[in-house]
Formats: sequence, structure tokens, C-alpha cells
Amino acid sequence: MDEIIKIVFDIVSFSCIMVLIVSGLAIIASLMGIFNFAHGEFVLLGAYTTWLFQESGLPVWAGMLAAPFIVGAFGFFLEVTIIRRFYKAAIVAMLATYAIGLIVREIVRPLIGGRFYKVSEPIPGLFEIGDMSFSIWRGVIIVLTIIIMTSCYLFLTKTNYGLKIRGAMENPALARTCGISTAKLYAFTFAFGAALAGLAGALMVPLYTLFADLGLRFLVMAFLSVMLGGVGTFEGPVLGSALIGAMVPGFQWLREIPYIVDFLSPIFSEVLVFLTAIIIVKIRPQGLIKRGRI
Amino acid sequence: MRSNNSRKYLPIIEICLLVGLIVAPLFINEFMTVILTRMLILGLLAISFELCWGYSGIMTFGQGLFFGMAGYVVALFANKAGFVQIWGVIPIGLLVGAITSFVIAWLLLLGRKPPEIIFVALGTLTFSYAAERLVSGWYWVGGGNGLSIFDFLSFGSFEIEAGRLFYYIAGTILLISYLISRYLVKSQLGLVLAGTRQNEKRMAFLGYRVRTYKALVFTFAGAIAGLGGALYAHHEGFIGPNNMGIGISTMAVLYTLFGGAGSLIGPIIGVLAIETISFNLSDIDAFKSFWPVILGVILLVIVTFKPDGLIGFIVSQRERIGTFGKISKKNKNQDS
Repeated sequence: MDEIIKIVFDIVSFSCIMVLIVSGLAIIASLMGIFNFAHGEFVLLGAYTTWLFQESGLPVWAGMLAAPFIVGAFGFFLEVTIIRRFYKAAIVAMLATYAIGLIVREIVRPLIGGRFYKVSEPIPGLFEIGDMSFSIWRGVIIVLTIIIMTSCYLFLTKTNYGLKIRGAMENPALARTCGISTAKLYAFTFAFGAALAGLAGALMVPLYTLFADLGLRFLVMAFLSVMLGGVGTFEGPVLGSALIGAMVPGFQWLREIPYIVDFLSPIFSEVLVFLTAIIIVKIRPQGLIKRGRI
Repeated sequence: MRSNNSRKYLPIIEICLLVGLIVAPLFINEFMTVILTRMLILGLLAISFELCWGYSGIMTFGQGLFFGMAGYVVALFANKAGFVQIWGVIPIGLLVGAITSFVIAWLLLLGRKPPEIIFVALGTLTFSYAAERLVSGWYWVGGGNGLSIFDFLSFGSFEIEAGRLFYYIAGTILLISYLISRYLVKSQLGLVLAGTRQNEKRMAFLGYRVRTYKALVFTFAGAIAGLGGALYAHHEGFIGPNNMGIGISTMAVLYTLFGGAGSLIGPIIGVLAIETISFNLSDIDAFKSFWPVILGVILLVIVTFKPDGLIGFIVSQRERIGTFGKISKKNKNQDS
């Protein structure tokens, strides 16, 4: 029982990271109709910023605080210079964002020298409930994600600006006729989505390691979460990422069965997660949760 | 109405390139011939992506997977069974490429609802990434070090070393693949594909099984990529995780877009151009680590400013889209 609660806790903290990444991806996709292939690299940049802070002797939490702003600013810069040209052609935009992702990834790769780095947790240690002890940092991630997602929801539904965003999402042409500058909205939203990814990267990096292909990995996982959960809902990706998060340790357990251990290296289980996810998508293409509201 | 006086550049480019490639080994040394052979083999990869993207509108980051998969299989045949006969290697490459791409086409393209371009792009990206991770962590296939092939590709007991002979063999294979692809895209099948690319829904309403056509082309393209991979593994004597997955898939995209998608000869020009630049820059250490960044910048610039690639400087949009099927005598008379 204790084991199960612990594993659920780990899965929830992983899902929280995925929620931050996926919601950034989704808000850009639903507002501008662009699927951002460079989103994984925004996560990487967030993680890299945090690591840079640690390397230069500054506190890690300062890096985490700075990461969303730096990545957000970078996203804003990209939107204004490049992404803006492609609103009329979603496919070309996809290629352009892929190229941006490639450039960022390959610039970061020599900078971290192809190695794997650890970043220490800003608040190390464990907290205890009853007999069980949990990692504080994972708890912080869960709490932060809930706070951020709630404030995002309130921002979108309660504020004036949120209304404009929702209006532009619904009907951009009509929004423009009403005197809303969609160009400004788009730039802001793109930066916001990038900032969420940057934050996710910064929060996540103590739990994982920093390496150049990290962005690619999270892009693939975000894609599978969305596909598993169902496109166009909020709960879908949450459930999908929980499932992916559950599968990663789930397949690790398989390795304890004799004979199978010969075939399953740690990497195998990750590959198996991808394959299983794709097969589930094949069987149930509409996702686990059907298209509903939003 | 088709005007007869519109100039045709594509056949001229094709013939010039063909003649150029045939006589090239007579003027360059052995070492350069080997480099040029590698370009020809990568040309197969480029054609395979071109068929998917340029002609049927399937954005795929999976061509590297078929390429690498076939390379690994022939390398395993060579290492574990000592089988290096060319009459076996070529069909194995074709078959592995075709089977792998068919499985992926079945998973991604032949679903219950028509797949979106983004879905296919990310799906193939996922497979490429997974495959790359798999082979780099699997020690039976060499792990991160890859597999080396020590024996030369041979026919009977005659060994084909990398050099002039290999160059002409690779060239012939490329030429045959090119001609078959050219025939395909100019035939009525090509017309269906062109229609699909423009308006998929309408083609479906006209009664075409659009997804089946797409899966067909995808599988054919996969076979060509597999052929390329098999030849590549034997030519380089090596196949590693870098030759399978995201990196090489990106190269396929880049070759095609740089040369000019939708013209079939464009990707070959793209391969020659990019690999020549890469070869010339590889001596300079400062450029070496930033070469992938430069490639990314090239891709971004091409996508932003010159979507029809190098070939767009010479060939008009109209000629690139081209004509389809045989023009019957009756139609021809009406035209003139």
C-alpha cells in the first residue's frame, strides 16, 4: 500500500510537469493554429538556464525564477521576428519551428559538451505523512503547478485580457474588427506558452538530468500525452500524461521478472512506453476523453 | 490550355546532371569518388523524402528510421552470418525499408479517421526518436558505438571496394530508383497524389481512397530509403545510432527543401550542394561543432524566404507541377 501511494505521488508530480508543458503547447496551438516543434527546446532552455545559474554559483531557485522570464523573452523575440510570418501557413510554420528547435538544440549541445549534468534540488529533503516520507521538491512542483494552472484559468476567464484571448481564439477576424490587436495578443501568448515550457524545464531538471536531447524527449512525450488523452480538452492531456508517467515506472517493474530482464534494458522500457502509447492511439484514435468543451 | 512554347528546363537539368555524374569519376581522384558515392547513396534518402513530402504531402521525420533500420539489418547479416553478397543486400534493404514503413503507415496513416499532417509528422518523429534510443542502448547491435562491417560488398567471390566501381553501381541504382519514381509521379497515380496534396477531402469525395494511396507511396518511399541505408552501411563499412533517427531524418528534410521539393531532381541537387559544403567545411575545426547549427539556419532561411529551394531559381512553378499521364492524340490536337 505504501509503495503504491509513493508511486502515485511520483506519477502525479511527473504529470504536473507534463501539464505545464502541454498547456503551453496547447494554448499556442489553439490560438494561432501553429504546432510548435520548438517547444521541447524551450523546456531545454529553461533547464539550461537553471543549470547555468548553479554553475555560476548563484542559488538554484534564482535560476528557476529567472528561467520563465528568459525563455518567455526568447519566445517573444522569435514570434516577432519569425513565427509572425507563418500564421497563414500552418505547415510551413511547423517546419520553421522545427528549424528553430534544431538551431537551439545544436547550440546548447556543444555548450553542455554532450555530457549529462545534475542540478541539485533547491529544497532538498523529505517530508513525512504518517509513516511515509515524500520528496519535498516533488511536493513543491505539485503545489506550484496547481497554483499556476488555477491562476491561468482565472486569468483566461475573469480578466479583460483573457476575454480578448478567448475572443481571438474563437474568431480572429471578428476580434480584429472589434479593435483587438491580434498581433499583440499572439506575441504575448506565444511568449506566455514559451515561459510555461521554460518553467517546466526549470522545475523538472533536479528530478532528471540535463542533456541536449531532453527537449526532443519531452516534445515526444507531450505529443503522446495529448494523443492519448484526446485533443481539444483540458483533462485529456492531464490524464494522458498521468498514463505516460505511470507507464515509465510500470515497465521498469517488468524488468524484475526473470528472463525478461535480459531483453529489457532501461532504454527498452522507455521505447516500450512510446510503442504502447502509439498502439493505444491506433486502437482509440479519439483519445481517452472525447472532444467536449473549450 | 497548355501552351507549347513554354520553356522546359527540368529535362535539361536532369540530363546535364546525369552526364555530369557519369563523367565525374574520370576527372577526380579516388578519394573524391568515394565522397561522391556517398552523396549518391544519400540521394536515395532524399528521393524517398521527396516522394512523401513533395508529391503526396506526407510530412515525415521517419525516413532516417527506414534508412538506418535497413543499414542495421545488412550490417547484422554481415557481422553475424558473414553474408555480404550484393544480390542479397539490395533486396534485403528494399524489403526491410518496405516492411518497416508499411508498419508505420498502417499505424499512422491508415487509422479510422484521416490523420492530420501534424499527427503524422510527430508520429514519425516519435518512432525515429524511439529507434535511435533503442539502438544506442542495445549492446547486441553495438550500442552507442554502432556496427562495423569488415568484409567488402561482393558478387560471388569478387569484392566491390569503395571506389569507381562502387560509384557506378550506386549511380545505376540511384538512376533506376529515380526513373521509377519519375514514372510514378508523372503517371495517373501522380495526378491522384497531386490532387490529394491540394485538397484531400475533395479527392475523397471523388471516390479515391486517399489514405491507401498515401500508404502506398509511403511504403514505396520507405523501400527506397531502405535501399539507401543498405548501400550506405556497406559503403561506409559502418552504421551507428547517428545514421538512424532524428539526425538523418532531418538531413532528408533539409536536402529536399534546399534543392527544391516537388521536382524530384531538386533533392539530388540538394544532396550534392549540402554535402559539398559540409565536406569543404569539415576541415575547419571551428565550423565542425557548429555545422548542425548552420544546417538549422539554412533550413530556417529556406522555409522563410525561398520555399521552392535552389531549383526555384531556374524552374517555374508551372513546370514543377507539370503534366500527368500520356497526352492522347485527340487532346494534343485540341491543344494546338
